[in-house]
Amino acid sequence: MVAAWLAFAALLLGATGAQAQETDNSGVAGKTFVIGTDTTFAPFEFRDSSGELTGIDMDLIRAIAESQGFEVEIRSLGFNAALQALSSNQVDGVIAGMSITDERRQIYDFSEPYFESGVQMAVDQDDTTITGYQDLAGKTVVAKTGSEGEAYAKSIADQYGFTVNSLDQSATMYEAVKSGNAVAVFDDYPVLAYGVAQNNGLKTVTEKVPGGSYGFAVNKGQNPELLAAFNTGLAQLKASGEYQRILDKYLAAPQSAAPSTFLDLLTSSFPALMKGLGNTLLVTGISFAVAMVLGLVFGFFRVSTSKILRGIATVFVAVFRGTPLLVWAFFFYFGIPQLTGQPISIWVAGVLTLALNSGAYITEIVRGGIQSVDPGQLEAARSLGLGYGKSMQRVVVPQAFKIMTPSLINQLIIMLKDSSLLLAIGFAELLYQGQQIYAGNFRITETLFIVAVIYFVAIMALTWLANTADRRFNK
Amino acid sequence: MSESIARPEGRPKITVTGLRKSFGSSEVLKGIDAVVSEGEVVCVIGPSGSGKSTFLRCLNKLEDITAGHVLVDGFDLADPKVDINEVRRHIGMVFQHFNLFPHMTVAENIMLAPMELKKVSKAEARDQALALLEKVGLREKADARPASLSGGQKQRVAIARALAMNPGIMLFDEATSALDPEMVGEVLQVIKDLARTGMTMVLVTHEMGFAREVADRVIFMADGVVCEEGTPEDVFGNPRQPRLREFLSKVL
Ligand SMILES: Nc1ncnc2c1ncn2[C@@H]1O[C@H](COP(=O)(O)OP(=O)(O)OP(=O)(O)O)[C@@H](O)[C@H]1O
Ligand SMILES: [Mg+2]
Repeated sequence: MVAAWLAFAALLLGATGAQAQETDNSGVAGKTFVIGTDTTFAPFEFRDSSGELTGIDMDLIRAIAESQGFEVEIRSLGFNAALQALSSNQVDGVIAGMSITDERRQIYDFSEPYFESGVQMAVDQDDTTITGYQDLAGKTVVAKTGSEGEAYAKSIADQYGFTVNSLDQSATMYEAVKSGNAVAVFDDYPVLAYGVAQNNGLKTVTEKVPGGSYGFAVNKGQNPELLAAFNTGLAQLKASGEYQRILDKYLAAPQSAAPSTFLDLLTSSFPALMKGLGNTLLVTGISFAVAMVLGLVFGFFRVSTSKILRGIATVFVAVFRGTPLLVWAFFFYFGIPQLTGQPISIWVAGVLTLALNSGAYITEIVRGGIQSVDPGQLEAARSLGLGYGKSMQRVVVPQAFKIMTPSLINQLIIMLKDSSLLLAIGFAELLYQGQQIYAGNFRITETLFIVAVIYFVAIMALTWLANTADRRFNK
Repeated sequence: MSESIARPEGRPKITVTGLRKSFGSSEVLKGIDAVVSEGEVVCVIGPSGSGKSTFLRCLNKLEDITAGHVLVDGFDLADPKVDINEVRRHIGMVFQHFNLFPHMTVAENIMLAPMELKKVSKAEARDQALALLEKVGLREKADARPASLSGGQKQRVAIARALAMNPGIMLFDEATSALDPEMVGEVLQVIKDLARTGMTMVLVTHEMGFAREVADRVIFMADGVVCEEGTPEDVFGNPRQPRLREFLSKVL
C-alpha cells in the first residue's frame, strides 16, 4: 500500500520535474557528485572569514547543481592534487579556474568555457623600476605551476631574459614578490585584480594578454551526464543574468574580506584552526596507535631468533625509514586508486602514511629497548621454566618499556609535527587550515605565527601529559 | 663433613655423554662425560675460561648443545622434541649476578613462576614465597625492591626464587663471586643448609674451602675437558694430574 503510494508520488514528481526544465537531466537528478577544486585561487575558490568555501567557481557549480537538481560535495584539494584525484576517479569533476588546453583535452572532457581569462603581470606596489617585460632582464619571476601565467611567462622568458620560478599557491607567489625573492608575478588577471583589491601589496603593470578559457572537467569518457548538466545549467544561468551577477560579485567590486587587526584575524580564524587542530590530533592519535602495533610486532621480529622474521623486519624498517613521508602520502592517496580502481579515504591514506613511517622508527626503538635489557633477565626467567613469550611479557618488556618511554614520547611529537605534511594531499589538518586562511586574506606571516603557537601549545600539553603518564606507570 | 651426611648411592639424575659445545668455530667443550646421582653435591672447579659456566648452562639448555647428550631425569636435552620448559621447572639455577627482576618486589620475584606455571593462587604463592624467604632469613624483605638489598641478600633471594618451583636439581654458577667478602659467608651458609636437605646440586665455584667442605665429588675442568675428578679428599689432598697440581698451587 505504502509502496504503491510512493511509486505514484515518484512518478508524479518525475513528470513535473521533466516538464519544468525541458531537459533530460534524469542522469544527474538526485545524485551527489564529488567536485575537486583548488585550495587557493581567489576569486574562483577561497575561504571567506568564516571558513566557508566561496568564489566564482563555487557559486557557479552550486547554482548549476541547484538548477539541474543534483548535489555537489566540494573537495578543496589544491590544483595538481585535484587533477590527480580526477585521473584516479577520486572525484567526479574538477572546477578550479582551469584553462582548456589540447594537452588536458587528451585526458579530460571539458565543458563549454565558462570564463575567458588572460594573463597579467604584477609587481610590488612600491616598485618603480619594473614597468614592463623589458625591465625583467636577469631577474626572476614567479608563476603558478601548470597555469596559463606560467605558460605565458615561459614563452617570453628567453626574449626578455628572465627566469621563471614555479610555485603552487597564489599567496606564496605574492609573498615571494613582496619579500624580494622574485620581482614580478604572472597570474590570471581576475586573480591579480582580486588580490590587489584585498591589499596584497602588489600592483598590476601590464595589460591583460588575452588567454585561454576556463572549463569544468570530468575524466575522459566518465560522467557524461554531469558534463551535459553543467553545460545546460551554464546556458540557463547566462540567460537569466545570474552568471553576470556572480562575476560582478567578485570582479567588479571585490569585498574587503581581510580582517583589519591581529585580534580580528585571530578571532575570525580561530574556529577553522581549531577544526584543523582537531584533525591533526585525531590523525596523530590513530596513526600512533597503529604505529605502536607495527613497531611492537616488527620490533619483536627484529630480536627474534628466526632469520626470516629478522629479515622481514629489517626490510620494513629500511623501506619506510629510507623514503620520504610525502612519497607515501602521494602513493597511497593517488597511486593506489589508480592501481586498484577503488578510491581511498583520505583518512586511510593519511593514517597509513604516518603509521608506516613511525612504525619503522618505533620498531627500532622497541629493538633498542629490548636489547638494552640485561640478557641475564631473560635467562633467569627461562631458567625458571617460563616460555619465551611469557618471559618477554612478564620480565623483559616491562623493563624495556621503561627504557623506551622517552623515545616513544619523542616519536609521538615528531609524528604530530609530520602530520602537517598531509596538507599536500588536501588533508584538512592545522597547517592546511592556516593556508586556507592566508590564501583568502594574504596575511601569511601573522596566520603562520598563530598556527605555530597552536602547534607549540599542543605539543607542550602532549609532552606534559605523556610525562605524567610515564611517571604514573613507570614508577 | 661429606661423610657425616648420609648419602645413599642414588640413581643418576643427570647423565652427560660426549658433550661438545662450540661458539662459532671455537670449541669450548670438547667431549664431556659426567654423571650426577640423586642427592649428590658436585663442585666444578678449574681455571678461568676452561668451560665451567658453559658446561653448567648446558645442563638446563641455556646453551644449545652442539653434540652429545645431556639426560636430566631421563629427558635428553639434545632432543628438540623434549619440552625444555617442562624440564627446567625441575632445575633451579642461581647466577653470579643474581639476575633478580628489578621491576618486581622480592616476593613477586619468587611468586612469578608458581603463579604462571602452576597456576596457584596469589595468596598461596605469597605464603610459599614467605616460607622460602624465612628459610633464607629474609622474610622482612618480602615487599622490598631488589635494588634496596645488599649483594648477599640479593643472592639469598635468588636462591629462594630458584627453589620456588620445588626443583629436584640446583645449579649454582659462582654464586658468591660477585659478593663483598663479608657477605660470602651468609650465602654459603644457605647453600650448605640446602645441601643437607639432600638436594642434587652442581656448583661452579672458586671457593676451594667450601668445595672441600660441601662436595661429595669434585670435577676439575681444563680446556673444555674433565681433567680429573674424585672425592674432595683425593682431588685436594692427592692430586694426580700436573694441571690440577698447578691450579691448586695457585688458588690454595
Ligand atoms: N656466548 C659465547 N660466545 C662466544 N664465546 C663464548 C661464549 N660464552 C663463553 N664463551 C667462551 O667460552 C670459553 C669458556 O667460557 P666459560 O664462561 O664457560 O668459562 P669459565 O670456565 O666459566 O670461566 P670463568 O671462571 O672465567 O667464569 C671462554 O673462552 C669464553 O670466552
Ligand atoms: Mg664462569
